[in-house]
Amino acid sequence: MHLIKAIVRPERTDRILSDLMEAGFPAVTKFSVVGRGKQRGIKIGDITYDELQKDLLFTVVKDTDCEYVIRTIMKAARSGDKGAFGDGKIFVTPVVEAYTISSGIKESPDGGMEEVQV
Amino acid sequence: MKEVIAIVRMNRMNQTKKALVEAGITSMTAKEVLGRGKGIVDFSLLKGAEKGFEEAITQLGDSSRLIPKRMISIVVPDGLVEKVVSTLIRVNRTGKSGDGRIFVLQAKESIRIRTGERGEAVLDEV
Repeated sequence: MHLIKAIVRPERTDRILSDLMEAGFPAVTKFSVVGRGKQRGIKIGDITYDELQKDLLFTVVKDTDCEYVIRTIMKAARSGDKGAFGDGKIFVTPVVEAYTISSGIKESPDGGMEEVQV
Repeated sequence: MKEVIAIVRMNRMNQTKKALVEAGITSMTAKEVLGRGKGIVDFSLLKGAEKGFEEAITQLGDSSRLIPKRMISIVVPDGLVEKVVSTLIRVNRTGKSGDGRIFVLQAKESIRIRTGERGEAVLDEV
């Protein structure tokens, strides 16, 4: 299991979410963040904007789906054919355990499932 | 050291905070987020909800529109993971879909900014 964190342009979020839905990965969490990248923000005239508005999308997928989801997000988040500065970044972190609260089912990276007693 | 990320219902936050403190986990970070789960929206439900049918409104809990949730992030030593997870499940479970998810990630390092201390000394104790 992997946690995919994607920092994307807010105006692209709707498209990414609908593409993920079509691809069969409906479960996503999003929140808005501000940040800057390697270009140190945007400089317009004398003013540098270094807190650019972005959306952070947060989804956990199986190891086998990881690559596909990353490609789906990348395709939908890229502006134009070549992409542009500010399109964002994707980070992938391994997840050790995942729990569904309503059923108490615990999923392990090896595919094992068990119910947790509380 | 593990990072526990939980996504829970907003109206359960007060109970969750209280239960965590009672379990000895005092430090946490929470954030308002939007999200959706595995549920797929059924438009007849939406219509039903507009007309005010109780059944349709309750079932909309698992729709695919983005729903406001709280995301809690807690970093704990390995020994406390189980306690945190079971506390979170106990408090947040209603049995309906939309109760949320918990993810456990490996954390590499934790540093207290005030003193520069590193490692598990920074975290809640087992």
